[in-house]
Amino acid sequence: MTSALDRWNPLTPLAAAVAMVLAAFAGPQPYAPALVLALALLVAFASDIGLEVTALTMLVVLPTFALLVLLDAAFPEAGSAQRQWIPSRAGVLDALAISLRLGAAIAALGVIVTGVAPRRLTRALAARGLPAWAAYLVIASLEAVPDARRRAQDVIDAQRCRGVAVGKGTGVRGRLRVLPALAGPLIVGLVTESEERALALDARAFDPRAARTTLAPIADPEAEQWARRVIWLALAAVIAWRLWQFAQSLTIAT
Amino acid sequence: MAVGVVRSALRVVCYPPVPLPARRPLPTLALALIPRAVALNLALGAVVGALKLPVYLDSVGTILVAVLAGPWAGIVTGIVSNSVLGLLVSPALFAFIPVAIVIGWLAGIAGRIGAFGSLAGAIAAGLVIGVAAALASAVIVIALMGGLTASGTGILTIAIRATLGVSVDSAAKIAAIATDALDKPLSCVLVYLVLERLPLRLSARFRTA
Repeated sequence: MTSALDRWNPLTPLAAAVAMVLAAFAGPQPYAPALVLALALLVAFASDIGLEVTALTMLVVLPTFALLVLLDAAFPEAGSAQRQWIPSRAGVLDALAISLRLGAAIAALGVIVTGVAPRRLTRALAARGLPAWAAYLVIASLEAVPDARRRAQDVIDAQRCRGVAVGKGTGVRGRLRVLPALAGPLIVGLVTESEERALALDARAFDPRAARTTLAPIADPEAEQWARRVIWLALAAVIAWRLWQFAQSLTIAT
Repeated sequence: MAVGVVRSALRVVCYPPVPLPARRPLPTLALALIPRAVALNLALGAVVGALKLPVYLDSVGTILVAVLAGPWAGIVTGIVSNSVLGLLVSPALFAFIPVAIVIGWLAGIAGRIGAFGSLAGAIAAGLVIGVAAALASAVIVIALMGGLTASGTGILTIAIRATLGVSVDSAAKIAAIATDALDKPLSCVLVYLVLERLPLRLSARFRTA
């Protein structure tokens, strides 16, 4: 999938996302996470991935918020005037603060996950010094996942054809007994296949520490390099401000 | 010093030997196994879904690599596995990378001391890994999500809070231990069964690597 983020070096949106996540947690509450969430969703919609990022965020944030409010309503603090099954204002605000922080982090990282191709991101990281073995592991894992899922389905179908009872109606113990018959061939198959892959790597003299050259290098304009430096500086300022506040609170407490 | 020589009709070219790195970060066999183990962590979800079991089995690959190739390989598998999960499923899973590290490290230690030599040892290793992983994940859930996750474990936390009357933090820890105490021993038993059926030639290659 291509998005507007493909115009950038992947390291720039990654740096921005990491900085936004840290700022959401370290910045003034609840304004920092609210601002980060709004900014992340704005970038997502501007990059044509708004719906995906919103869905990804809401899938975690809404149930978390609902469960936290439910918890507050179901168990009022002993001795308080709060009636059971009616959430308190403080409880709702706490749930909102936690959900906002979580939503900000997921939305900021969701922009990277949805808008930047993992292979391109790994190549950009490799160009900045990510070891060859780490880059290989990420890319090979991403490529192995669809194949393993297809193989898992093949094993399930094959065992069904042989008469293995899969699914409900067999009881948990019965289904647990079937588990090795389904998982075993899948695991053994993947492990034995890895030997062939290892031979192929050795045959190509794969050196996990060697620096790689790339056929199509990803551009890293100077403006983007400066933008990343500014992002890191701003983040350092937020963290320093947070630490200073923490030190102040300790001084007041003593 | 050995020097490779290529003869042609016109000239003789001598190539200096390619120096191999003194210490490789991971043996090639482990490097080839880790992506398959990561894929296994995700693919077993299809098996669990088909059987409708109340477990995750999302660490079988990590435990397998840790036992076969050592704690360092287990830690790397855990990190890559949760990173790939974060990229493919939900960015919220990036937060649980420390849990995967704990699982990989402990499984590697268990493998080193020979816990996977017997079924009882594998179950005991699973229990220890399960409790450690549960405590690590509970700390993350409490710090980031207020003690509740948007999953069955979150509902279990509320149920424990209702029945036992403990605090949310304690309920989150109990719920995490309750789920992982079933999941991790089962994962370790699966790994033990696989190791029993693995060709001897292959397991010997891992030992020598």
